[in-house]
Amino acid sequence: MSPRPRLGCCDRCPAAPGGTVGVLADGDPGAILAARVTRRRMFKAAVFQQATAGRPAVAAASLPAGLAGSRDLRSGFPDAEELPRAVAGTLIDVSPQVLVVGDTEETQRFTLTADATAWRGAAMEPAALRQGDHVVVRLVAGGRGVADRIWANIGRVTGIIAEHSGTRLVVDEGSTKPHQVVVIKPHSASRIMVRFPTLRPGYLIDVIGVRHGSELEALIPATSQPTYVATRPPAQPLISGRLPDQISGSATWHEPRDEPAGVLGVTYPALDPETGCLEDAAAADPHYGRMPYLAVGSTLLVRNDCTGAAAQLPVTGCAAMARLFNDRCVTCGTSPRGRVADLTLASFVALGGELERACFNATITIGG
Amino acid sequence: MLGILHELREVQLPILAVLLLGGCVTKLARAARVSSTELGLGPTALFPIRLRRPMALAVCAVECGLGVGLIVTAGRFGSGTPATLVRSGTTLLFLVATSALVEMRTIKPDVGCGCFGDFSTAPVSGRTLIRSALLAAAALSTVWLRPIQLPGGHSTAAAELVIFMLVELAFIGALSPEVGEALVRLGYSEPCELRAVPPARTLLALHRSKQWRRHAGVLSSDEPVDVWRELCWRYFVYQGTVQGREVQVIFAVSLQQRRPAVQAALVDAPTGQVLAWPAPPSRPSQVGRLLHGLAAWQGGERLGQAEPRLRQAEPRLRQGEARLQASGSLPFSTDL
Repeated sequence: MSPRPRLGCCDRCPAAPGGTVGVLADGDPGAILAARVTRRRMFKAAVFQQATAGRPAVAAASLPAGLAGSRDLRSGFPDAEELPRAVAGTLIDVSPQVLVVGDTEETQRFTLTADATAWRGAAMEPAALRQGDHVVVRLVAGGRGVADRIWANIGRVTGIIAEHSGTRLVVDEGSTKPHQVVVIKPHSASRIMVRFPTLRPGYLIDVIGVRHGSELEALIPATSQPTYVATRPPAQPLISGRLPDQISGSATWHEPRDEPAGVLGVTYPALDPETGCLEDAAAADPHYGRMPYLAVGSTLLVRNDCTGAAAQLPVTGCAAMARLFNDRCVTCGTSPRGRVADLTLASFVALGGELERACFNATITIGG
Repeated sequence: MLGILHELREVQLPILAVLLLGGCVTKLARAARVSSTELGLGPTALFPIRLRRPMALAVCAVECGLGVGLIVTAGRFGSGTPATLVRSGTTLLFLVATSALVEMRTIKPDVGCGCFGDFSTAPVSGRTLIRSALLAAAALSTVWLRPIQLPGGHSTAAAELVIFMLVELAFIGALSPEVGEALVRLGYSEPCELRAVPPARTLLALHRSKQWRRHAGVLSSDEPVDVWRELCWRYFVYQGTVQGREVQVIFAVSLQQRRPAVQAALVDAPTGQVLAWPAPPSRPSQVGRLLHGLAAWQGGERLGQAEPRLRQAEPRLRQGEARLQASGSLPFSTDL
């Protein structure tokens, strides 16, 4: 057999021109992703459980993270009874006590807590939301159908500035995602430009705002702009010796561009560069954060250091942009390093994150 | 006591000069390597982008000028006003640097001080601030220093100066994150979790392994259906068939450079249930091939002479074959 491998797959494949991101095969991308995650976990468990059962010489220390113990690897994913849950949909109706959210197939009614708050560019009463708003609703942990937080039309764009013309920016979020248009209106320009003084092509931007169709009206700077051009980050300090099992840094969130809505998962800044993934090709230049290589299907225990909430989440993709940022999260103290996890919107909410605050200080444990 | 203080002040001049010139050279090396000084390392990051290049060049020029000036004016040449100006300028430089670092730590906590180019990428810490403040104090102590005279024939005085210098350099080294960075670069060995390893190399290691030789017969295709890597392991999944049953064979190959470990498992393709390995194919072919070759060459004179010896060896070969078959029936196995 030829030693030259033909890799039968890549973790995430590039989009066809003008099309959406293809995920390995025809079919529901969410189901395919879930199947891949489950299958890889099962294979990994099989290969090492068999080895440890028959060969005590295979030391626990030589096993991958998460397999040294004997716990069941198929368990450990978050439970709605333990963590808040996020529901996304279109607002059908709202009153001070009740919220009705619908999607293409069904509507759901949620009871609002007395102190429920909403956000649409600024904090407001839930009753001030409008029909037709796209809302993300946080449900209280363990309370079926009880909501305490609503974000309306919230959006976020994180990437490299590709074009700048007047008040509009075109932002490249990576080769597997379509370019995003960001509008910075005069009333929010000063707030944005204090943190992002260089709105020139090649520089990084990360802003949160309100979506108007495909455009994002930037209102809140999500971080401070790195001083370097995205393709030329500063040299990294070298790392030697045994890597720690836990890495503390900043956990951010991203909009579900091509992911199934509501998926609990995390995109990770350092997927194996050899999987032929175009997300990696987009950032093949030196990147900032050096982290252990993982793959889609690996699991991370992500802990919100500000609230203590933790959940084991599967890696669902590559955070190509997150690794270009060497910023710090200051939600509760200053995080010791940059972005270690880019959570799906549902995961970020489930772990107690406030979407308009952009990040929380987090500690990840590889393998959980 | 006063003598010691005086010697301490004298030692500051060469140390400050070396640090200034070292800072200048490493900054220039960085600028040359990245062909731009816009990367915003150090206090230049506090300036608008259009000013960063001229500011970086100005800092380099000032450091170089002051470093050379400290050396030139250390003795009788240039003593008096020129020496005082150079030393006052050095004090001012370190005071401004300390203030800028305090500001940077507040405004841009993720940016390194850039004091020694690429070696100073770690965010500004308390150690960096203390070092800068102490250097400012050291520079201040030299402002009214009389011209330095070489120890001459006094070996004790020269030894004292060297000791003072070494102790101070060690102290500055302890306050410098750049020293750790330089040492790490000298003896650097990248952890396997961070090392990019081509799948071709991993696959080659797999094909050379005992696990592969033992289980390759089960595989129905030589192309893996899934490949992924996690930390120090790369996984290959192959389709296979065992007694008409569709199976999948998973190989986990360690990414160690020497003697990589290989683990293997067999699972039922539809259910994912872990299966026991089938008994390996018998290996009479090796012995048989030898005997057939022997028969074909019976007419040959040399082989004809060798034949009786081979016939005598046949029972021993058959015993070895039986032992091989017995040892190959393990449900799974591990290469280490």
